[in-house]
Amino acid sequence: MTRTSRAGRKNRAGGENRGLFGFAAVAFGLYGCFLVLPLLLSLRSSFTNENPLRATSSFVGLDNYREAVGDEQLRASLVFTLILAVGVTVAANVVGVLFAMMLNRTTLSYRVMRTVAFLPQVLSGVIVGFVWQTILTRDGLLNSVLQRVGLTDEPVAWLGSPNLALVSIGVVVAWILTGFTTVVYLAALQNIPLELNDMAALDGVNRRQRFTRVTWPMLAPGTTISVTISLITVLKLYDVIAVLTGGGPADSTQSTALYIVQLAFTSDRFGYASSVAMVLLGLSAVIALSVTNVLRRREVNL
Amino acid sequence: MIRKPLLAACLASALALTTACSDSGSSGGGESTLTYLTFETPALTSTFWNDSIASAQQQAPGVKINRITSPNTDRDAYAKQLQAAGQFPDLLQSITPANFVGAGLLQPYDQTWVNANFLLPEGNALKGKVYIPPTNSQVIPQVFYNRELFAKANVAPPKNWAEFLTVCDKLKAAGINPIELGGADPFAAGMPLVGIISADVLGKNPNWLRDRYAGKVRFTDDNVVTAVEKYRTLVGNGYFDKGALGVKYADSITRFTGGKSAMYPMGSWFLGAVPKETADNFGVFPWPTDDGSLVIPFTVGGSMAISAKSADIPGATRFAQAWSLDPKNLKALIEGDGAFPMLKDKTLDDYGVTVTQVFKDSYQYVTDQNTKVSSISWATNDDALPPGVNNDFYAASQALFTSSDVRGELGKLDKAWDTVTR
Repeated sequence: MTRTSRAGRKNRAGGENRGLFGFAAVAFGLYGCFLVLPLLLSLRSSFTNENPLRATSSFVGLDNYREAVGDEQLRASLVFTLILAVGVTVAANVVGVLFAMMLNRTTLSYRVMRTVAFLPQVLSGVIVGFVWQTILTRDGLLNSVLQRVGLTDEPVAWLGSPNLALVSIGVVVAWILTGFTTVVYLAALQNIPLELNDMAALDGVNRRQRFTRVTWPMLAPGTTISVTISLITVLKLYDVIAVLTGGGPADSTQSTALYIVQLAFTSDRFGYASSVAMVLLGLSAVIALSVTNVLRRREVNL
Repeated sequence: MIRKPLLAACLASALALTTACSDSGSSGGGESTLTYLTFETPALTSTFWNDSIASAQQQAPGVKINRITSPNTDRDAYAKQLQAAGQFPDLLQSITPANFVGAGLLQPYDQTWVNANFLLPEGNALKGKVYIPPTNSQVIPQVFYNRELFAKANVAPPKNWAEFLTVCDKLKAAGINPIELGGADPFAAGMPLVGIISADVLGKNPNWLRDRYAGKVRFTDDNVVTAVEKYRTLVGNGYFDKGALGVKYADSITRFTGGKSAMYPMGSWFLGAVPKETADNFGVFPWPTDDGSLVIPFTVGGSMAISAKSADIPGATRFAQAWSLDPKNLKALIEGDGAFPMLKDKTLDDYGVTVTQVFKDSYQYVTDQNTKVSSISWATNDDALPPGVNNDFYAASQALFTSSDVRGELGKLDKAWDTVTR
């Protein structure tokens, strides 16, 4: 073994640091270009009456934000988005935990099943939307099956009635997210020391109690990640809804992200669309921070 | 050592990107490169566009076309996205000029050329200027019907609104779904409302839309409310399938041509989807009015608009004119898209088309003397709705399928109109 001089070590460390700084610079550059800069431009735009079809725009102060406060369509889209976010987050996480418990084995067949469970997560939302559309339309697969087995006389309007469309979209989005939540909970499960469960078993604790008193509390870090990311994903959801219902029928499934796009590219109101985007961003940040705070506190208390 | 090749690669990539991003608008040798925004449908395929471009290029030498395709049929929205990104195309197929003229983005055609070549030179003119050549027209909607199902229910095509209701009643009593509606697609959901308002409101006051711009009339006026309540009658009486709002436009065509419904209010482009082998089983009549007078909701369509920002407006104009007058392009539009040609001094035979009897019957409403009005929400001339209001119109159509608050929904339309135009 050769001894490296202090100066040599320092030089090598300096070189490594320079390399790391290089990588960090690229990351910061990309982050700045594709996230911070558009965000700042959008913030600036939200105080203007910018229109893609007008050469000039003027500063309108807080007018757009004042309009947003009284905008019934925005309110409806926010209510829809929040209901969907809460419903999907709960469903995707409950199913995710169940799947993770079932798939927490290391045999080949379980590994294959895990891949299958994760598959929806890697598919594009647009493709998922088209696939589910063929299942849920009036003459789609689901109605055919239900009618064939005699469960319904008439086709059900899964995407054609406001309440059912909300539920249908929720199911599809939960199906997509379940892949992600399953993987997160699986990772968390595999971090639980086997001894804990063994000791509980020796103490005569039954399976249900072992889950509620040992497994579930130990999943807390996974829950924080999974719930927060699920919520954020649904709060900014656009693609699946755009394909499945286009926000219809009669704007009843219009998410706030969909409303922003409509304001910008159909109504030509870039400025106002930007202010609504800022409202959504603010709301998402508040929700994400609050939820993370509560869940992190739970982790600490354990 | 490793940093130098990396740096070189980065520089090379940056240079390549710079080269790729820079668009001089000219490829050298005096040939300009123009971007042309098109869209694709089952009738207007990629092959159609490529062939039509190649043909027009032969007649307009010195122009190289770089075709781009809208990701969906909403060309206007995509053109706006391109404009926002600083990539407004040189040529734009079948857009709504009213959305872009205000921003000075479109170049009007030479009126002498328009007058010399088209039957209705002012058909889609905006404030006296023509931004898309009026090459063809559509009736939106007509009511297509299934002769076999009509015979089964022992009914004949209705001549007025009262007869229409009786026909619907008898069809329903015979266990046949009277009216097909592809309600999951907003534009298709709007067809009955387009028919009703065009026939009952615009039929009595063809200037209604211009009066709406002038603030003289409103959607919440009693005559409009009364007309729209007819739609509620159709819904309330169960003349549409209950799950109609879950039926996609494409599926509605399959359902109607497959005999699952007796009538189908749709734009005349449906003629392109009529199966050739069973075409004789389909007939057509205009959307019925109270007194049986013929009111034809009519829209003059056309080919491409030219960007006023194009680096080569003369070249773009040469290409657009050649494309617009090419009978081969009109042939494809007639046969595949049910378009009615509007070129001067030409009959259907001059295009070498093979069309069905239902096409000829439908076309007759265009050539006959009758009251032609702008098809509301489809017009591209001074009767076009303000930007964005089309969406509200279609949303109201879907909402009125489940809500009986006609005045409330029409009030929303007035509000949207006022917001956009203020």
